[in-house]
Amino acid sequence: MLWALPLTPLAAGLAIWRTRPPRRERLTLGTAGALALLVTAGIAAWAAWTHPGAGYGWAPGVTLLLGVDDVAGVVALLVPLVAAPIVVYAAAHERRRGLARLVGLLVVFVGAMELLVVAEDLLTLLIGWELVGAVSWGLIAHEWRQADRPRAAAHAFNTTRFGDLGLFLAAMSAFAGAGSLGYADLGGLDGPLLHVTVGGVVLAAAAKSAQVPFSPWLFSAMGGPTPVSALLHAATMVAAGAYILARLHSFLDLVSWFAPVVVGLGLATALAGGVVACLQPHAKKLLAASTSAHYGLMFVAVGAGSTAAGIAHLVTHAAFKSLLFLAAGVAITAGGGELLGRMRLGSRLPVVAALTAVGSLALAGVPPLSGAWTKEVVLAAAGEYAPWLGMLVVAAGGLSAFYAARFQLLAYGPMPGDARDHGPTRGAVEPWALGVLALAVAGLGALWLPGGHELASHLLGEELPTGATWELVASLALVGAGVYAAVNADRGERLATLGLSPRSAGVADWLGLPVLARAAVVGPTLGLCAALARFDDRVVDAGVRGAAGLGGVVSAGLARADDRVVDAGVRGTARLASAVSRLLSTAGELGFDGLVRGLAGGIAATARDSRRLQTGMTHHYYVLVACGLVALVAATAIWR
Amino acid sequence: MLTAAIFVPLAGAVALAVGRGWRETTARVFAIAVTAVPLALMVAAWLRFDTGGTALFQLVEEAAWIPTLGVGYRVGVDGIALPLAAVTALVFIASVAYPVDTKDRPRQYYAWLLFLECVSLGLFLALDLLLFYVFFDLSLVGMYFLIGEWGHGQARAAALKFFLFTFAGSLTMLLAILALYLATDPLTFDMATIIRQQPLAGEGARAGLVLLGLVVGLGVKTPLVPVHTWLPPAHVDAPAPASAILAGVLLKMGTYGLIRLPFAMMRETFQRYAGVLAVVAVVSILYGALVALGQANLKRRIAYTSVNHMGYTVLGVAAAGALLSGEEAARGFAIAGATVEMVAHGLITGALFLICGSFWQRGHEYDLDAYGGLASEAPSLTGATVVAAFASLGLPGLAGFVAEFQIFVGAFAVYPVLAGLALLGVLVTAALFLQLLQKLFLGELPARWSGFRDLAPAEAAALAGMLAFVVIIGVYPRWLLDVIASAGALLVEAP
Repeated sequence: MLWALPLTPLAAGLAIWRTRPPRRERLTLGTAGALALLVTAGIAAWAAWTHPGAGYGWAPGVTLLLGVDDVAGVVALLVPLVAAPIVVYAAAHERRRGLARLVGLLVVFVGAMELLVVAEDLLTLLIGWELVGAVSWGLIAHEWRQADRPRAAAHAFNTTRFGDLGLFLAAMSAFAGAGSLGYADLGGLDGPLLHVTVGGVVLAAAAKSAQVPFSPWLFSAMGGPTPVSALLHAATMVAAGAYILARLHSFLDLVSWFAPVVVGLGLATALAGGVVACLQPHAKKLLAASTSAHYGLMFVAVGAGSTAAGIAHLVTHAAFKSLLFLAAGVAITAGGGELLGRMRLGSRLPVVAALTAVGSLALAGVPPLSGAWTKEVVLAAAGEYAPWLGMLVVAAGGLSAFYAARFQLLAYGPMPGDARDHGPTRGAVEPWALGVLALAVAGLGALWLPGGHELASHLLGEELPTGATWELVASLALVGAGVYAAVNADRGERLATLGLSPRSAGVADWLGLPVLARAAVVGPTLGLCAALARFDDRVVDAGVRGAAGLGGVVSAGLARADDRVVDAGVRGTARLASAVSRLLSTAGELGFDGLVRGLAGGIAATARDSRRLQTGMTHHYYVLVACGLVALVAATAIWR
Repeated sequence: MLTAAIFVPLAGAVALAVGRGWRETTARVFAIAVTAVPLALMVAAWLRFDTGGTALFQLVEEAAWIPTLGVGYRVGVDGIALPLAAVTALVFIASVAYPVDTKDRPRQYYAWLLFLECVSLGLFLALDLLLFYVFFDLSLVGMYFLIGEWGHGQARAAALKFFLFTFAGSLTMLLAILALYLATDPLTFDMATIIRQQPLAGEGARAGLVLLGLVVGLGVKTPLVPVHTWLPPAHVDAPAPASAILAGVLLKMGTYGLIRLPFAMMRETFQRYAGVLAVVAVVSILYGALVALGQANLKRRIAYTSVNHMGYTVLGVAAAGALLSGEEAARGFAIAGATVEMVAHGLITGALFLICGSFWQRGHEYDLDAYGGLASEAPSLTGATVVAAFASLGLPGLAGFVAEFQIFVGAFAVYPVLAGLALLGVLVTAALFLQLLQKLFLGELPARWSGFRDLAPAEAAALAGMLAFVVIIGVYPRWLLDVIASAGALLVEAP
């Protein structure tokens, strides 16, 4: 029954892709997609409530296991709920060409993610993990007629697949050490295999969640349509990394280096991603860098020991980030481009601007919105781990406040001066999709109320940390400072020009990491491939051709003497062999006799075959046959 | 029953060879009908096969041939031969059905294909060493004529290179087979007896030499780096169905032989040198993948991925034979993975080469950079290629993953470092296939390809038949793995 959770969206998505609605295409696709996702959400709710399990005999001795614990239940429910408004938005907003494929694949994406979420062994996890990556390729390359999109999709897929190798490695070493792939048996690992398994999972998680140094693939992923970005960042794919660290935390934490490494990765990404987002001039890329940064915060929380804090932030982040991406999509369509400096749609789209503000304030960490609450929980977890870590998380929060305000002001701030004529603003459905998500962001703010802490702890199955008062004060102070700095810069007209100078443009492009990757990894690899291809043609094959050429020279000489000589030689050798065999058989050496007679027969057959091959180069074969024969006779002679 | 599977195609080949005045369509329909017979017989054999059976071989058919020499006509299957024979029948019917330019000699073309099917099935079903060798050699003859007569470009030269290369390999194998035969007591070519006897166990250097002869002969056919250079030209210049058969069936003769001869018959010697073989396999995996990525020619690129994939198979075989006892579960995975890899690669690469044929027929061009944007003109072709490419790069849910995952897991238990290195091959194949898809089907459509024909019904049917099994094996591998496991268990337990 639990299989219905991943299979329903998988099957429904494929069916939606194949349908060609004769009319009212947008309505049909949107309804079908939303319906499939709501059914999925229903199943997820049931699963979260009852914690069922399921299995599937995949191979002799290997069963694919599904299971749900508290964390899995929350995330399994989150994914389709966030995806539903995104799919409705996609059906209403995106280009008509290929729309069925887009909506269908978005639903399939949810199915693959659900498989990964409810997996209870490393093989099932790997299957879901890789499927998510493959579907993301199809989605990012959606506008495949533009050559840069498939390239971007390949970049994203290759980067995350490098991380997937970690999961392969984890499965391999887990089986070698524990004789099983199930999560339940991982605790039995020890020694080097334990370290390899944990390392593999961490590598896979870091790549999927776009932590440094893998972060730039998220920029490439921006090649996909906005709903793809929204789903990919909020609830699928990128969420997988932070999720799996939380899901397997009790096992991963068995090695002493897990906590410092994951905290370090997360913190570095949170700070670097924050700086990148502050300078990034593209609307979607700003949000993408911010995604890396916020998953960094989740890594910090899980590394610091509080999976509940990490997952809580994952949930609220899903709500506000999907809202912001959809808002960015509206702004890009209405503003006619991705550059933040050319938008300022507040006057033209006041409703959308207001809804977006809810998301931006949550991203900034302003109470009483939900994002702020979970950020404080992450801060509390970090502070418990080490006070300095808490301080750095506060700093990351300040950056977050600055770029959130920057996004809001530039995209949906009021237009100064004359109202320029922009591209079309589309449809009435989009604000509703945004509205649903904004309601979720605001509604989750109820966590600030008394009892919210207990409720969240109960749902996540783990007591959430409570931070010190000074942390809250420092955090709110920095949020205020960040927002103020943005507003102030905006008043001085400096906000839009940020990140346009050559130096800061380098920083904004993920601190030059993509350039480094091209120079240090992609370029040399492709160069090596080209060199090896030439080497294979010229050197390896030349050795072979040289040998063949030598044979050719020899055989040409022989052929000049007389083709018949060689032929006679062959026949003569055969006769010789027969003679030897007759001689030996009289001596009673039955076995040897058989061998030689067999040989003679073989030789005769080969000679006949060779004669059939009248290609004009038959002498080659004769030479070979003759060589082989000599070797044969010599070998048999030595043998006895 | 198995005998009929081998000789019905031969009878069909004879009928085509001696017939007169066959028209193109008649010959084609006749050939398709003939290839349907072994396929049906393989299905019947599959249903009769007992996965719980403890016998070494099942469905055995025997006849005396040259009793004084211990030569007999013996055919039968185990859990490894059966899937390979079944895939052979499937690849052949798809290849025969695939429309191709027969250069006005349809009778001869289809006769050679049927002849090749006879010897291919014979090889996988043979339980007699001499019979095995005869079929091994005859397969060269059939392929030589198919490439040489119906190929394009420098087909003759490619065919000759293929023939000489693999024939040289098969001669070293013959020497080794004879040495193995001489060590049996009483003298016999019966595989089952030799497997039970393990004739050269404890024979030191002599056994090592015999092993070397066998592995070199089979390694050329597989092919392993560095004896692989016959493969790219043979593929590039061969007609598409011949390429599909070469990759889908003939290459497997090498790896199947590796399991059947050195592995099963010389357990102790094989175990001693398995590490060396594993290193060669990993070199093939990485080298094949990297060189493939360096190719600008569609067909050469796919040809080199064969080197990569067959490297996985050999790694699995080497890992399975690396110990005489211990790690049975992991080694069972390795041998099962190797077998699934053979099946999967046969279907996937077979399909990819047929697709290459469709490109050649439409564009007379294999240069990847010449194409682009074809997804709009040929959606079915795009769909089939995407499925095959993702299967080849090892996406879960498709057959390649089932094979590679098991090989990696199995190999890691005995050769952790080598298995870790081999993993990198998965990354390179991902890069090269995504780039391939991008260059052929995505981006802008060059003006010269507007109106590029999509798959014809015959092409679509052949590809769908092969890719359907790729999906079925990927989603529900159990039905195949249970059959393989019945042989795998015997192969990995202590001799």
